[in-house]
Amino acid sequence: MLIPRRVKYRKQHHPGRSGQASGGTKVTFGDFGIQALTPAYVTNRQIEAARIAMTRHIKRGGKVWINIYPDRPLTKKPAETRMGSGKGSPEWWVANVKPGRVLFEVAGVNEELAREALTRAIHKLPLKARIIKREEGDA
Amino acid sequence: MSDDNKLAASVRNSFGKGAARKIRAAGRIPAVIYGHGTEPQHVELPGHQTMLAVRKANAVLELDIEGKSQLTLVKDVQRDPVRQIIEHVDLIVVKKGERVHVEVPVHIEGESFSGTIHVTEVATIRLEAEATHIPENVVVNIQGAEEGTQFLAKDVELPQGATLIDDPELLLVHVMVPAAPADETAEAAEAPAAAAPAAEASE
Repeated sequence: MLIPRRVKYRKQHHPGRSGQASGGTKVTFGDFGIQALTPAYVTNRQIEAARIAMTRHIKRGGKVWINIYPDRPLTKKPAETRMGSGKGSPEWWVANVKPGRVLFEVAGVNEELAREALTRAIHKLPLKARIIKREEGDA
Repeated sequence: MSDDNKLAASVRNSFGKGAARKIRAAGRIPAVIYGHGTEPQHVELPGHQTMLAVRKANAVLELDIEGKSQLTLVKDVQRDPVRQIIEHVDLIVVKKGERVHVEVPVHIEGESFSGTIHVTEVATIRLEAEATHIPENVVVNIQGAEEGTQFLAKDVELPQGATLIDDPELLLVHVMVPAAPADETAEAAEAPAAAAPAAEASE
């Protein structure tokens, strides 16, 4: 599972969720990709679940790229705790995904298999997404 | 040049995001024309025709700007990543017979040897070509290529009149055997270690 080895600050503010992705909006490595249509915090567990769903469907052949990294910690206070006494402890690691961002890419398989594998991956993610294809005419 | 690339443009006198939004709402696309030491000229283009014309890379457009003809090359297209509409187009002035530097898509044909996959390292290649005869793509034929085969820029057969600008040793495509999928036991062993909730903080 993806997790940062070392961070400068253990507890951070919640990442901003407004706006659209300013980069990483095209398929650059593979032939097909998953593009987010809504903002979301994608946890490292969800990324791993999506990767496993994809690679198990592809079976052999094909290459998968993960374009996002869960580098933001989210904290949570323990249950039945009164307010105060400082910020809770880090509970999840998330990638802050904004609309337009390409999350996963796949290459080396035919279109039908790629679309099915990516659909299975989308089902593991907490956002609306679509499958996009590399465009030759992208200027 | 086909009729698809002949567009009627009109000069734009209102600027800024508000004016640009009004132009887009009217089904037109704001654009700018520059190059050859001329002052930038702001124009608006018909939306649907422009969208069709810029589908292929390095489209050359013949604009009719209020009666004056101008040959231009599409330099950049800004798209909304979610809605996929064209927000703005940058056009560069070209002359007939002029040679221009362009990025041409690499098109892969054929299938590599059974059990291998091809990985595209570079999606475009930089060429110098005549503005009115820019190749749509360069073809790399990988039919039957075995593991470890590399296709370099110098191996590509360039269209007539085009010359390579990129490094001839630039790797375009290579053929490899995909890594075997990790077995269940390896994944299971990895899980408890990865379940550690937080990384070590430096402060």
